[in-house]
Amino acid sequence: MTERRIVGRSVPRTDAVAKVTGAAVYAVDVVMPDMLHAKVVRSDRAHARIRGVAKDAALAVPGVLAVVTGGDLTGLFPRFGHIVADHAILAIDKVRYYGEPVALVIATDPLIARDAVPLVEVDYEELPAVMDVSAALAADAPVLHEDDYSDVPDADTPPGGNMSRTPVKVTSSHPNVAHESQKGWGDVDVAFTDAHRIVETTVHHPMLYAYAMEPYNAVARFVEGTLEVVSTAQHPFMVASDLARVFSLPLSHVRVSVPYVGGGYGSKSYTKVEPLTAVGSWAVGGRPVKLVLDVEEAIYTTRADSADIVVRSAFAADGSILARDFEITLDTGAYADNSPLVLDKAVNRCFGPYRIPNLRVRGKAVYTSTSPASSYRGFGAFQGNLAGETNIDQAAEQLGIDPAEIRRRNLVHRGERLIPGNRAMDADLVDDLDLLVAELDAGSSGEGRLRGTGFGCAATDAGAVPSSTALVKLLSDGSVLVLTGSSELGQGSRTVLAQIAAEELGVGMERVRVLQSDTATTVFERTTGASRTTTLSGLAVQRACRDVIERVCLAARDVWTDAAGPIEVRDGTVHGPGGRSMSLAEAVQGWFGPGGGEILGQGVVRRTGELAELPPFWEIGMVGVSLEIDPDTGVIEVDQLVTVADVGCAINPTLVEGQDLGAATQGLGGTITEHLVYDGIQIANANMVEYRVPRITDRPRRFRSLIVERADGPGPYGAKGVGEGARNPVPGAVAAAVARAVGVWPDTLPLNPERVWRLIQRAKSTGTASPGSHGSDSGPQ
Amino acid sequence: MADFELRRPTSVAEAVEHLAEGGLPYCGGTELIPVMQLGLMAPDILVDLKRIEPLGGIREDAAEIVLGARVTHDETAASPLVRRHARVLAEATSRLGNARVRATGTLAGNICFAEPRSDVLTALLALEARVDLRSATDSRTVDVADFVEGPFATVRQEEELLEAIRIPVRASRSSYIRFQPGEYPTVTVAAVQGDGGCRVVVGAVGEIPGVFTFPSAEDVDAAEIAAQVDVTEDLGGREDYKRHVTEVFVRRAMAQLAEGSAA
Amino acid sequence: MSETLVRTTVNGRPVEARIPNRMLLVEFLRDRLGLTGTKVSCGMQVCGACTVFVDERPVSSCGVLACDIDGADVVTVEGLATDDGLTPVQQAFVDCSALQCGFCTPGFVMMCTALLRKTPNPTEEQVAHHLEGNLCRCTGYEPIVEAVMHAAESMSSAESGTRHD
Ligand SMILES: Cc1cc2nc3c(=O)[nH]c(=O)nc-3n(C[C@H](O)[C@H](O)[C@H](O)COP(=O)(O)OP(=O)(O)OC[C@H]3O[C@@H](n4cnc5c(N)ncnc54)[C@H](O)[C@@H]3O)c2cc1C
Repeated sequence: MTERRIVGRSVPRTDAVAKVTGAAVYAVDVVMPDMLHAKVVRSDRAHARIRGVAKDAALAVPGVLAVVTGGDLTGLFPRFGHIVADHAILAIDKVRYYGEPVALVIATDPLIARDAVPLVEVDYEELPAVMDVSAALAADAPVLHEDDYSDVPDADTPPGGNMSRTPVKVTSSHPNVAHESQKGWGDVDVAFTDAHRIVETTVHHPMLYAYAMEPYNAVARFVEGTLEVVSTAQHPFMVASDLARVFSLPLSHVRVSVPYVGGGYGSKSYTKVEPLTAVGSWAVGGRPVKLVLDVEEAIYTTRADSADIVVRSAFAADGSILARDFEITLDTGAYADNSPLVLDKAVNRCFGPYRIPNLRVRGKAVYTSTSPASSYRGFGAFQGNLAGETNIDQAAEQLGIDPAEIRRRNLVHRGERLIPGNRAMDADLVDDLDLLVAELDAGSSGEGRLRGTGFGCAATDAGAVPSSTALVKLLSDGSVLVLTGSSELGQGSRTVLAQIAAEELGVGMERVRVLQSDTATTVFERTTGASRTTTLSGLAVQRACRDVIERVCLAARDVWTDAAGPIEVRDGTVHGPGGRSMSLAEAVQGWFGPGGGEILGQGVVRRTGELAELPPFWEIGMVGVSLEIDPDTGVIEVDQLVTVADVGCAINPTLVEGQDLGAATQGLGGTITEHLVYDGIQIANANMVEYRVPRITDRPRRFRSLIVERADGPGPYGAKGVGEGARNPVPGAVAAAVARAVGVWPDTLPLNPERVWRLIQRAKSTGTASPGSHGSDSGPQ
Repeated sequence: MADFELRRPTSVAEAVEHLAEGGLPYCGGTELIPVMQLGLMAPDILVDLKRIEPLGGIREDAAEIVLGARVTHDETAASPLVRRHARVLAEATSRLGNARVRATGTLAGNICFAEPRSDVLTALLALEARVDLRSATDSRTVDVADFVEGPFATVRQEEELLEAIRIPVRASRSSYIRFQPGEYPTVTVAAVQGDGGCRVVVGAVGEIPGVFTFPSAEDVDAAEIAAQVDVTEDLGGREDYKRHVTEVFVRRAMAQLAEGSAA
Repeated sequence: MSETLVRTTVNGRPVEARIPNRMLLVEFLRDRLGLTGTKVSCGMQVCGACTVFVDERPVSSCGVLACDIDGADVVTVEGLATDDGLTPVQQAFVDCSALQCGFCTPGFVMMCTALLRKTPNPTEEQVAHHLEGNLCRCTGYEPIVEAVMHAAESMSSAESGTRHD
């Protein structure tokens, strides 16, 4: 194998200069000629029938051009949703949560649109709301969705989602259940009767907000029968298919483009505000309409599912798992969005990367009168992992086995199947765990401080369904354009894909440019999510480059009319028989003649061959923390954070570390400080003053990311994904560290100072010296 | 934000005329602008105090430190006078909010807004500060203890301008600490030990700071203070937790005071 | 709508405009002057994405009236780099990979610039205290701290370099 020049090196990000100078353009910065501005009139009821909307006062404001309601969308398919098309663009007949869009005010100026919003009067008939899962599942609970949404008009359009669009409520046990999911094998009940020990754990994971710093926004217009949208979406191709359905347009006549994205973390997966701007533009005759949400509106657009999980596991005396039984209930909010898939993933991911002879997992996602829940980095995994890993740690304690040892005994080995029918394990989990444990140290305790360490493991079915394409253009001067449908969210895809192309074609980084995420001018990519980009988009780019090289060789053979013998491209030069050579530029120019041309290479990744089995790879998460607690206040300080990045090949090691630290930091926030709190029908902390994400002062004192490269991924150079892995085990790891520090197992997040202090009080009152007692607390909110 | 008329006086006399007409004063705008954005306040006339030179500066005047209404948190924290004679205020203003709020927010704006979780109020109460109020027709000086009546409520009349804050210069030892797991503190404690005894102020935990006086620092009873303070329950904690951390921080403030140098 | 005539300099260029009284500084910079490097995120002065300098003081431009810049000197992120290239702070953010999505970056670059003007050789603790009001959701902050320390170093070595020349 030839020495790699660019892959494996931490070359500087290609977007860094634009981002430090303010030149980088995000959707929110995009201006179109003659652009109008929209603001949303939102429901101030949790569940109500709409009797009427009075627009006149708002329309009378100078500068207001239109007020659009759900009832105005005649001739359109008025809903969206990639799994269940249950989401009205603007409420029709009913509102189902406080904050739901009811009308759109369109004006010449955003300030005018904002002025007019309170002038739109909505006449509601209040209906009883269900603010949590238990209210929603009560026998006599009001039904939120009377419809099964089976009237989707476009059976031929490929579903944008990861699941079929068949209505999901058919099999459900209760009309407010949005989705049910099950998994299992063996005979769990028999296994439990044979158990040496049964350990039961209950956890509650709160609702979270991803806080991508660029709020949801989009601008839409109609140009010559084509709908053009610029948005901050992660998955423009899926948004395009939702929009095509709304307007009955062929996909060729919907263009969604995405410039730099100001953070996504899954929260910008799927369609959000794009239909609002599109129907806005439609209502004003095609003029561009821009809509920018604020943080509060963003929180009422998407949050992460809260979860209640009960797990019982049966163990043999040596710590071997005999059986596990999970029951998962997610609060999905008023609309399904991606929650059915979140549930499927929670069901798949809760039991951990362990050998489990008998398994039963039952889950349901429940509609409530709250903000719709959807994807957030590692969805389903972090909720499920908290339950599964806490349960393992408690078992270790009860069986008197070291928590690393109990995991070693149960982790699946390379080649073993974690889930029947899925890809066999493609990582060395025990080795990864050993690395982690060796690096993690308890440190020494500050005076009067409590100390604890914790760690956890996860292997998640990542990458989603493999369907990626890339087009690589070798231009007349030998420079290279890479076209991909994958969005630059900050993860560094623009840099990594350029590295792959530069490596393959033997050109310098400065000769490669990556163009991304325009459904009309770049090429198909299913999603930018599930840690897939380097692996799957990267593979498509690599294949496209190899296609370019093949075509260059054919071109060279045409140019060298007398070349009998092998022709190859090495280090950016075409080498032919007899020592002759030419540059890539000469190959293009020679083949096309004066005026030049472009040699096009295509790369396609489909679910075939090596990628036929799902998932395309297992994404490994191994995280350890050591922390210190002030017993007087309950404040946690994270002393050390260690992650193992089992990435196959680190194409850019600095970017890998960035993903791990970023993901783990979001995990620390979601475990220690963050939670959305409903107070009645509204969220009490729907702003960044009261919803506390990690600050610079909260960062761990020491951070280490151990990069493991075994070239065992399906991506280029053996790469596999990173990005979610280090998020998933954090809640369980911190919970275990807290339990070991204070002597009581927490069962509810976040572990904010008050909650930790209450655990300490409980430990004192029960006289627990070491963990063992279970801290169910009705304490803080 | 609703429309308003903007006045930009360059003298105090001019400013109080605008106030007499119903104008609302502002300086940094760090509190007022967000409140207007939310539509919670919609004044017809805003009076910008930033262009009034005489409202700037920190000076010593007859055994008092005088801080003009335009003085920011940063200026206060950096002032040698304040650091020497009113260390609790230097500590409070160097730590509150964030660097931008400290660069533009004023102490006058802080106490006129009377946010119950104010650090400034805790410090000023501990220092027994007074404020000069002036209207087109009148002027008066009021103890800060009497100035703030409750959450978002002061005795300032609408036509009155807070012109300056006066802090008596006395030999004392002091400490200032805050517990702040969120954006605003959960509890702030200022302790000042002077000739006349020890004064402990506990702020942020309730609707209005509690002021406690003891003959000396040794007599301070943290548990007693914690039992007596007014407590507001919120996402930062329920009552028992807040009382507990109050006790902890009073104890810590007293320990610091005992160790600390005179200020 | 009431308006005020404002004369100011933005990034060294004189600007004269009639500005609606209720317009925020960030709206003026982004929507009127097209200086979109300054970002809006939290809208409550806690995230720092909208940081600009007004007479060298860092302010949250989402919480300041645009009219308040009358007579002042305003600098945005676009005004930092010169023809000679990036500033040491910007260069350090590039070199330390102290950014991912980049939405918070202009605000961080501004705040770090302000810090190093006042405190050329900060401790890590001073850096953290100064940046407590800036949120970054991607990086976990560590690379940002590193970048500030780097920038301080390169500035002080450049400084001593010129002194010895
Ligand atoms: C993100 C954030 C975090 C903060 N954290 C803290 C904290 O931790 N601790 C803390 O104590 N504070 C905190 N604050 C509050 C901060 O200290 C105040 O916002 C600031 O000091 C107010 O000063 P200003 O000049 O900006 O007031 P403005 O907003 O200009 O005015 C505030 C109010 O006071 C009135 N007013 C102002 N000046 C005068 C005057 N001279 N005479 C009469 N009335 C006047 C105005 O009419 C207005 O009602 C925080 C603020 C923000 C935005």
